[in-house]
Amino acid sequence: MNRQQLFEIANSWFQNQGWKPHAFQKETWTAFLHGKHGLLNAPTGSGKTYALWFPIVLNYIKNNPNYPTKHRKGLKAVWITPLRALSQEIKQSAERIVEDLELPMTVGIRTGDTSTTERARQRNLLPDLLITTPESLQLLLASKDYANKFKKCSAIVVDEWHELLGTKRGIQMELALSRLKTVCSHLRIWGISATIGNLEQAREVLLGPTSSEMKNSVLVKANLKKKIKVSSIIPKHMETFPWRGHLGLHLLDDVIPIIKKSKTTLLFTNTRSQCEIWFQKILERYPEFAGEMAMHHGSVNKETRIWVENAIRNESLKAVVCTSSLDLGVDFAPVETVIQIGGPKGVARFLQRAGRSGHQPGKTSVIYFLPTHAIELIEASALQVAVKENAVEDRLPYLNSYDVLLQYLTTLAVSDGFYPHEIYPEINGTFCYQGITEEEWQWLLNFLVMGSQSLKSYDEYKKVEVASDGKFEVNNKGIAMRHRFQIGTIVGDASLSVHYQKGGYIGSIEEYFVSKLNPGDVFVFAGRNLEFIRIRGMKVQVRNSTKRTNKVPAWAGGRLSFSSQMSELLRLELYKASTAQNQSKELIALEHIFDKQREESIVPSPDEFLIETFKSRDGYHHIFYPFEGRAVHEAMSSLLSYRIGLLSPITCSLAFNDYGFEMLSDKSIDIQAVLDNNLFSTDYMLSDLQKSLNSNEMARRKFRDIAVISGMVFTGYPEKGIKMKHLQSSSQLLFDVFRDYEPENLLFQQAFTETFEHQLEEGRLRIALERIATQEIVWRPCQKATPFSFPLITDRLREKLSNEKLADRIKRMTKILMK
Amino acid sequence: MTYDLSIARHTFSLHPHGGIFWKEKSLLLISDVHLGKVGHFRKFGAAVPRKVVHKNFILLDELIAHFQPFHICFLGDLFHSSLNKEWDLFENWVEKTASKITLVAGNHDIIAPEKFQDLGIEIFEALALNDFLLTHHPDVRDGFFNFCGHIHPAVRLRGFGRQRLKLPCFFKTKNQMILPAFGEFTGNHTLTPKKEDEIFVVVDNEVVKI
Repeated sequence: MNRQQLFEIANSWFQNQGWKPHAFQKETWTAFLHGKHGLLNAPTGSGKTYALWFPIVLNYIKNNPNYPTKHRKGLKAVWITPLRALSQEIKQSAERIVEDLELPMTVGIRTGDTSTTERARQRNLLPDLLITTPESLQLLLASKDYANKFKKCSAIVVDEWHELLGTKRGIQMELALSRLKTVCSHLRIWGISATIGNLEQAREVLLGPTSSEMKNSVLVKANLKKKIKVSSIIPKHMETFPWRGHLGLHLLDDVIPIIKKSKTTLLFTNTRSQCEIWFQKILERYPEFAGEMAMHHGSVNKETRIWVENAIRNESLKAVVCTSSLDLGVDFAPVETVIQIGGPKGVARFLQRAGRSGHQPGKTSVIYFLPTHAIELIEASALQVAVKENAVEDRLPYLNSYDVLLQYLTTLAVSDGFYPHEIYPEINGTFCYQGITEEEWQWLLNFLVMGSQSLKSYDEYKKVEVASDGKFEVNNKGIAMRHRFQIGTIVGDASLSVHYQKGGYIGSIEEYFVSKLNPGDVFVFAGRNLEFIRIRGMKVQVRNSTKRTNKVPAWAGGRLSFSSQMSELLRLELYKASTAQNQSKELIALEHIFDKQREESIVPSPDEFLIETFKSRDGYHHIFYPFEGRAVHEAMSSLLSYRIGLLSPITCSLAFNDYGFEMLSDKSIDIQAVLDNNLFSTDYMLSDLQKSLNSNEMARRKFRDIAVISGMVFTGYPEKGIKMKHLQSSSQLLFDVFRDYEPENLLFQQAFTETFEHQLEEGRLRIALERIATQEIVWRPCQKATPFSFPLITDRLREKLSNEKLADRIKRMTKILMK
Repeated sequence: MTYDLSIARHTFSLHPHGGIFWKEKSLLLISDVHLGKVGHFRKFGAAVPRKVVHKNFILLDELIAHFQPFHICFLGDLFHSSLNKEWDLFENWVEKTASKITLVAGNHDIIAPEKFQDLGIEIFEALALNDFLLTHHPDVRDGFFNFCGHIHPAVRLRGFGRQRLKLPCFFKTKNQMILPAFGEFTGNHTLTPKKEDEIFVVVDNEVVKI
């Protein structure tokens, strides 16, 4: 069949649905059938699934003209989705095509939710079209004879690639693809990504920067222009609107008319706990919404989530309070309005959420921004500009993540074993490991086999063994089993499942939260008030309660930082406040706050750099306002406190947000000395920054994931009730022993590199310092907290930093405890 | 560097490594060394730095050199798990150590008692000496002051400027003293002291009373 005839099949299918294929869909079909690889840039709900399912199917028809009589079973294509919740939708769209075209193909899902019987069946025979997650794909690579199962696979589609890029699951994908390129005979690799700042790089990471696949690839852009209308909900009584806070409940009453006015409204919150609270509070104050309102977040059980998603489609819900769990996935046509509660911490995310509404062609997406505190109105104002200019952020891919590589090599050793000389070129061809040296490679192999770099007689280290022909393999069943458990834990904290005492799964919850509960305590979860009974195995047992409570589980959500572009917009917006020109209605509403700010301090203009200091019962506050975004502030605070510590030893805790950072100390810092010694200098910036990491705890926190991923910390397998208590140790403890005994270990080093490259964004810091050098420094000693400082000084999530002798600190602390 | 205190007219010296020396009896108390833990982890594929193994023995030697005790009593969890090659290192260490060694067995001590007896180490469930009771698990009995381990105690300190610290400690209540875990790579558990409790934190080679 020629291409024309194949296209005819697709076109007539679209016609039968009453649709017309988009230009980007046709473009993708053509490229795919020409044997090209590529990246498709298309938003959620644009029909991107059909852009790639179709050519996969058409390609099959083309290569197997006798398919009605002679269908060869076995895997033909893999569709990767980062969220297993989306797999059903993707399966349905594939099934629709397969059924309508009367193809003998089977469609199957394999994720953490797949039943054991289904998995056993897949062990013998994979479906023709497989939908899975990056972790489950790794698990397939950990199964015997995987190469044969994948041999005839003709396509891999990585959906929502932007969500994976810049995460370690993304590296898992890079590695899996590097293997499958060799294993599969005629493979096409395609990614689908929403708009991000570095789309070209996204393609490089997916395909490998210098690979033949990269050379033979295209970037297809959907270019569906969408009108987005942003409006802020401005508090009527600005005087009583809080200076800080993160819930936004003050504006609850203003939300109700918006919900009432539209068919279905999605309320996006930034954290799961915020989601729980909003849901609870709306029902409390407006009981009439009961039955018409639902909640959706990642820890709610699967059945409930699916029920909610279907209910949105059936238009049986008026409002859904949700988190990023509803960011992705297929179209919810009835959604007319979206409300974003609190800063979305990213323009791309904000746009994506806005795009959730008004899906019918030609309709405008409407998104309301609800500030949770006064200063956030500045953000609202800047966001409107950002949306206009499409100032989306980059997703920064990882480099040289040894932990993921060790995990992957163990995976290969668990299944069929590997020969280093075959695997090394594959790995070297990925974006992540393009710079790996022969020495590092040897180090990693030694680490796998000996757990160190040299052999000692008393050592019984056992993981990967080298066979006589040089093949690296795992022969011990226990090690293989533990490794398979470990693959899925690349994300997230140790979590426990929440059950009713009589049975019935409600969701999962982080261990950290549970550890603070006593039997009889009541907490809000999945919209219910639950009484904690006990922990049995890895299950939290609860019963319903009528008691009221304010305990809501907290999940460690990612704290995102603004892109440099967005930070600049934010800064410009704020500077407008100092000039009283071109002010948006958000800024005008904030006039009252600015007046208060001016009482003791200033609203800085573009050529002023503001520093405020004051004392409270918490200690001495030193607040700096570079307006450069969270990441830069994190780095700058670390750098500055390190340099101040050189003048005289200090201990301080650091807090930062998108506006500035605070150094809180038990002693006052001599700001004049900071200025006189030119501590904002860019000289020796890099080495100072590196040294500053030793005295704070950022690297320590990064090490946590590294220890888990590389298999040094076992988390057990909570959902299966398998604990490995005798092998549990905290990553904190490991960090300490590595620091004291093996600081040259590459995994230990990685914790520092990651902090450095991923958290601190050294390049942006330099530019920021250069800008500060051109500004006039305005230091205002104040009597009490100013409005600008308020969100900072009340932030409880802090970094600690100290270069004082521990004993000295304790003696000072003791004095306080004694009184 | 040590901290002396008197309990029931006997003198005890707290050492920052985590041992207590009973002067009148020339008895050194050490708890929760968890020997073999590193080896155990490594055997199961977790590459904990190997050098930690030797550090435990070095610390033991330093402690013994400092007090020159006639008698050493381990308050349980001497070995972390089943027999592994660290036992050989332990055998060597016992051989070259002049003091008499006893073990009050803890929950982790699952190695056959004969293995210890072969080295001349006596094993007890609990040991009563004068008015003092030595156990692994905390055990308060009338008329006795209890020395024990098991908990791996630590306390959290707070200071001005929202400072916080967590440090291992000797935790003394009216009739009990819980020893910190001796071994490297053992972890700890935070306790909240009551008013009448006495806390001795271990920090930078010093014992500081709080």
